[in-house]
Amino acid sequence: MALFRKRRRRGSCHAPVAEGVGGAKKVVLVGNPNVGKSVLFNALTGAYVTVSNYPGTSVEVARGAAEIAGERFEIIDTPGMYSLLPITEEERVARRILLEDAPDMVIHVVDARNLERMLAMTIQLLEAGLPVILVVNIMDEAERLGIRIDIPLLSTRLGIPVVGAAIAKKRGLSELQEIISGYRCSAYPVPEYSRRLENDIAEITALFQSRFSLSPKAVALLLLQRDEDMTARVQAREGKGFVALEAKIREKIYARRESFHLDLSLERRKIAEKLLAGVFRVPDKRKTTFGEKLSRWAVRPLTGVPLLLIVLYYGLYQFVGVFGAGTLVDLLEKRLFEGRFNPWISDIVKGAVPWPVIQELFVGEYGVITLGLRYAIGIILPIVSTFFLFFSILEDSGYFPRLALLVDRLFKKIGLSGRAVIPMVLGFGCDTMATMVTRTLETVRERIIATLLLSLAIPCSAQLGVIMALLSQSRGALLVWFICLLLIFLAVGLLAARVIPGETPMFYMELPPMRLPQLSNILTKTYSRMQWYFLEILPLFILASILLWIGKITHGFEKLSDWVQPVMAALGLPREAAVAFIFGFFRRDYGAAGLYDLQTSGLLNPRQVTVAAVTLTLFIPCIAQFLIIKKERGTWVAVAIGLFVSLLAFGSGYLLNQFLLTTGIL
Amino acid sequence: MRCGFCGYEFKEEEGIKGCSNCPMGSGCTRVKCPRCNYEIPKEPLWIKKLKRLFERK
Repeated sequence: MALFRKRRRRGSCHAPVAEGVGGAKKVVLVGNPNVGKSVLFNALTGAYVTVSNYPGTSVEVARGAAEIAGERFEIIDTPGMYSLLPITEEERVARRILLEDAPDMVIHVVDARNLERMLAMTIQLLEAGLPVILVVNIMDEAERLGIRIDIPLLSTRLGIPVVGAAIAKKRGLSELQEIISGYRCSAYPVPEYSRRLENDIAEITALFQSRFSLSPKAVALLLLQRDEDMTARVQAREGKGFVALEAKIREKIYARRESFHLDLSLERRKIAEKLLAGVFRVPDKRKTTFGEKLSRWAVRPLTGVPLLLIVLYYGLYQFVGVFGAGTLVDLLEKRLFEGRFNPWISDIVKGAVPWPVIQELFVGEYGVITLGLRYAIGIILPIVSTFFLFFSILEDSGYFPRLALLVDRLFKKIGLSGRAVIPMVLGFGCDTMATMVTRTLETVRERIIATLLLSLAIPCSAQLGVIMALLSQSRGALLVWFICLLLIFLAVGLLAARVIPGETPMFYMELPPMRLPQLSNILTKTYSRMQWYFLEILPLFILASILLWIGKITHGFEKLSDWVQPVMAALGLPREAAVAFIFGFFRRDYGAAGLYDLQTSGLLNPRQVTVAAVTLTLFIPCIAQFLIIKKERGTWVAVAIGLFVSLLAFGSGYLLNQFLLTTGIL
Repeated sequence: MRCGFCGYEFKEEEGIKGCSNCPMGSGCTRVKCPRCNYEIPKEPLWIKKLKRLFERK
């Protein structure tokens, strides 16, 4: 199969719809961020530059004039883009420039070190029928790494001018200027895909009655990828004929709904690989780096799942659970607060304030200092600090996008896609903000399922740390908790995917390289997250203590505990456990800290602590999360989720208690 | 800034800030990646100043 087919261009390459300033030819620079576009722009234009917002957006676009071999050109520096299918506002603007400015030349700037990855966009630009010149930049760095690129051979294979350059050092600049000044284009090479894809494209293009600024093939592919902007443009041009076209597109999208994005990107990658065979040579000695191996292991189910379990065991269990929630909490909460600070401050307050009721507010059972401050600093702070440190290490290493790919297949079964890893991962930090992030998911169905699962089965960092510390003290308790949560997560997800109507989302992402986490990044991110968390929880913990104090002096709290008591009895828990659940409604982490107090007071046996941990993890979202669900998904969805989660939490707790009593496992 | 999820590099000003629905939006210390919406904490001002100081030296 030929990689490219030559097509005669309709009209002239030099007859743009919108002419450049003073009739100058338009040259548009495109490419990924950080490939040297702006350096090339400055090298070509010098001081003649204007920077303004693209109409109707806040995205800045730089335009400048260049005089090459006595001819004047208008040079446009577009925002970074990864693909012709835009995701961000910047990419949308870059594509609009390509669509509406009708450039005489499109200079695609790529990084020589990542040529294979970036060539996919060259292929897209070519199939769009754009007059492309390829600049393989940062050649000096690539050569330093021992990479050799046969530029003439690449140019022959692509059928377009290709320049090897290191623009920052002016290398290749004069060659590029020569190409720009003498550029003539009469035919453009079009990449050939598999027979099935070409047939799909042909069936769609056969229905086009209008001409577009991009080639019919590129337009058809964008329509198949559900590009909203392109759909609107085609609809406007085609008028009544769009009905038949839309039906055909729907038919094709439905037939290939599971993997179209992936199939297309794999086909483009194959074309890029064939183009680069014998063109792109890496030194023989170059071995696959550990990062590359690790990256491969992380996305393959056979190695990825054990790797995930290792990460969870050492990162979450050993570091956050045992060290953070065990050693550090013991040091801060027991030795510092209970041993020294609380007795000292209690003496001072009792000496200074004669009224017992006011003493209670500050240093009583639910005192602002003895409970609120102790929970915030003594229990929650060391746990979230270790959690955020662990989180930042994983984040900086590039593990999260690999996790998204790993779980994508599983997530599809529960109505989600790998993209939902973003709110799920953020949910371990704080479920409230993660609920807000669900709005970025592709479909309404996906947003509702993700919101439900976040409310139900994703514990926040502090809750997770406390639970791991408590359950690690009894053999098998943590495993029981983990299995329960996993089963409920999957069962509810599967059920929700069947009950809630909607389309199966698609997910495809380009993997950034895996790298050794940088200490400065880790410390900065951990510090920033801790600062945010602490500033958020401290006032809320103090407020919760005040409310509990009011509840205590008015005996409302006792009545509430009495009211909850039958539920506690059904779960096999002591009456005092009601306090942790009431705390949990204020904040999940506050409830977890309450559970910690019960355990350290010796009020819970291993069975009870496991049942309480499972029920509290599944328990209704805290007030803040509930309010965000209401805002994001509406009152009815929020109420339905709240009721469902509460019933499921107590139902699961009851069943687990019965199971543990019958089997005597714990 | 570099997105911790998709690796997209962008200026802090380009990030999506202040989610309109969030009650804590005004004083938010996080920025969303314009490409994938992942949330990244902003670098505290004093760390930025410290870095600039070291860069000068």
